[in-house]
Amino acid sequence: MKSTAAASVPAATGAPGPSASGRRSRPADTAAPRPRRIRRQLVTSPWLFAAPGLAIVGVFILYPFVGTVINSFTDKRQLVEGKYVGLANFRELLHDDMFWIGLRNSTLYVLVVVPALVVLPLLLALLVQKQIPGITFFRSAFYTPVVASIVVVGLIWVWMLDERGLVNAVLEAVGAGKVGFLSDQWLLLFSAMAVTVWKGLGYYMIIYLAALANVPRELHEAAAVDGAGPVRRFLSVTVPAVRSTMVLVAALSSVAAFKVFSEVYLMAGPTGGPAGEDTTLVMLVQRTGTGLTGRVGYASAISVVIFVVTVALMLLVLRADRKEDK
Amino acid sequence: MRNSRSSRSPRISRSPRRAVTAAALAAALLALSACGGGDDSGSADASGKVEGEITFQTWNLKANFKSYFEGLIDDFEQKYPDAKVKWVDQPGEGYADKISADAAGGTLPDVVNVSPDLVAPLAKAGLALDLDKSAGKYEKEYLPGAWKSHQVPGMEGTYAFPWYLNTGPLFYNKRLFKDAGLDADKPPKTFDELFTDAEELAKKSKGKVATLANVPTIEDFGRYGVPLMNKEGTGFTFNDAKGVELLTKYKELYDAKALDGQALTATPESTGKKFLTEAVAMNPGSALDLEKFKKDAPRLYENIGITPQISNTGKDNMYVMGVMVNTRTKHTPAAVAFAHFVTDAQRQMSFAKKVAIFPSTKGSLDDPYFTKADGTDETRVRIAAAKSLKTAVNYTPVLFSEQMKVELRNAVARALQGKQSPKEALDNAVKACDRLLKQS
Repeated sequence: MKSTAAASVPAATGAPGPSASGRRSRPADTAAPRPRRIRRQLVTSPWLFAAPGLAIVGVFILYPFVGTVINSFTDKRQLVEGKYVGLANFRELLHDDMFWIGLRNSTLYVLVVVPALVVLPLLLALLVQKQIPGITFFRSAFYTPVVASIVVVGLIWVWMLDERGLVNAVLEAVGAGKVGFLSDQWLLLFSAMAVTVWKGLGYYMIIYLAALANVPRELHEAAAVDGAGPVRRFLSVTVPAVRSTMVLVAALSSVAAFKVFSEVYLMAGPTGGPAGEDTTLVMLVQRTGTGLTGRVGYASAISVVIFVVTVALMLLVLRADRKEDK
Repeated sequence: MRNSRSSRSPRISRSPRRAVTAAALAAALLALSACGGGDDSGSADASGKVEGEITFQTWNLKANFKSYFEGLIDDFEQKYPDAKVKWVDQPGEGYADKISADAAGGTLPDVVNVSPDLVAPLAKAGLALDLDKSAGKYEKEYLPGAWKSHQVPGMEGTYAFPWYLNTGPLFYNKRLFKDAGLDADKPPKTFDELFTDAEELAKKSKGKVATLANVPTIEDFGRYGVPLMNKEGTGFTFNDAKGVELLTKYKELYDAKALDGQALTATPESTGKKFLTEAVAMNPGSALDLEKFKKDAPRLYENIGITPQISNTGKDNMYVMGVMVNTRTKHTPAAVAFAHFVTDAQRQMSFAKKVAIFPSTKGSLDDPYFTKADGTDETRVRIAAAKSLKTAVNYTPVLFSEQMKVELRNAVARALQGKQSPKEALDNAVKACDRLLKQS
């Protein structure tokens, strides 16, 4: 420690000239030395400004994150301090059917919801982009589900998809017969996916509208002059122009889809659908880790898996984007 | 060499500083993540002077009974002028999580409203006062079954004062029974009668009317006569032949559409709604529901039938509420005195007259309020429920946690869907519940 501190002193006073490694001196090196107080302030002031933000990040993000990772290697329960169990929780995950069901459902959610949320809001944005009378109403209407409470939205959809609900009444009226949207494991999961897509359309539509506003009109005009039709113009002009926005939407929606909880919880119930077959990973964390007998260590191990997969998803999307750039 | 080091000195000098900062941060986080322990337990001796400020926590009671509890606290403070009670109420949703967070954080109130399944983990964690030791003299004031309901298998002691009891009849729709050609004045009493009537109802309505909307729970297994746990309280036994028989019958009901198609994902709210809209013929409830039927479903109310719970054992299921004392309280005599005050015969009787609950104190159920009919349906339900409570059993084992309920429910669903045989499903459920029991 001492030697390091001593080594830092000459640098602080700006004493040495060109470095022994042959680097060129910076202008600051030749300037008059700053008083120590000012130099100290230069170091401390930015940290003071950042301190409130750092404190919030530390307390609400970093601490729970580190705590979760630590807990995942223990057998901690809600009212009992855990002891270190190594990788036992992760090994148990491999043999837990419910974990694989959760992983399957969360992955399926990403595979279905993300493409829908990348493409459909773009098409919607193209529709409402046009400046025609009354278009503001449609923009607002498409955005309304975004601001609606997920609990209210979920309950309304449950009411509509019930065996005696609106959708089944219509299906019966047209002779299609009743469909068990809320009793069949797959229909239930896809119904929840539909709600997620319906609720997210407006949000991503707004992002696309901002991106579309930056696409030069000349490009479309030039393509039209060259004989390109609407589909060709969409694929060759619009899509490349908003590609970076599509990557952003894919990244945001894939993370959100993998962490889905509310829609499935509200529609499939706390047990996660018939025999728990619609359970997602986050639902499993909630079910396993909460309550007076909750297994915090095991639930933390599931959370760590969710974190790893989420980071992997982000990297995958960014990598795909970089490949496209090349 | 010195020059070289000097030129890079800012970086060199910061690294150890960073390392020290990171280590300090990590140490702080580790210390924080290990918090919640510590032994700051109070005294178990409740014989001292009743004094000091204590906190009393109830479970979703403030909205409807604010004046009752404020009056009760005033009475207590008048009786014990040196004691002060601070009342907090928590919402019904997530109550176990709230208690769990408080218990882990060392902020559990002095006196807490609990149910037997909540008190078990708290007692195991050493947070619930053993009343046999601290307040055993009060035992004789309560019904023996009620006092025992807060005892934990494998542990000596009683960990909460019994408070109010609840049970309810089974409501049925007389019109739907008549439409199916069944005698509406002779509703099923045993499970066999229930299964026969349910199949008939489904057949006659061509699968449009189900009799039940809920999959069997642990209480149903209990009322069917299935042994739920071994005597030592170390393992579950609901996978025995009788348990398999019950689940096999339910599978037949499900296939015949006598059990509602959405039963596998049903909640008490959704089944209540189905009964209200006359989509199912029977549903358990309480005297409170009659008012709801009258207001929200007048047609159903005209045809409402009331019958005791279906039971093969001759005993109904009851739910017990309790009031526990935190072992970490700084004012044990005041906390014990208040917990007893809330649950004594006088206070329980006065609470029972405000809402459809039943006292757990000896002799209270013989009060004319619970025995004399006045011609109204509400009183009829109250009298029947009070009568059944004298022999009723809390079938839910104290150690049967929420996670275990999910395991059983999922196993039942797998059997009803035909993915596993009833025997295989129950064997798996028992295995999973035993594993959770060992881990708890």
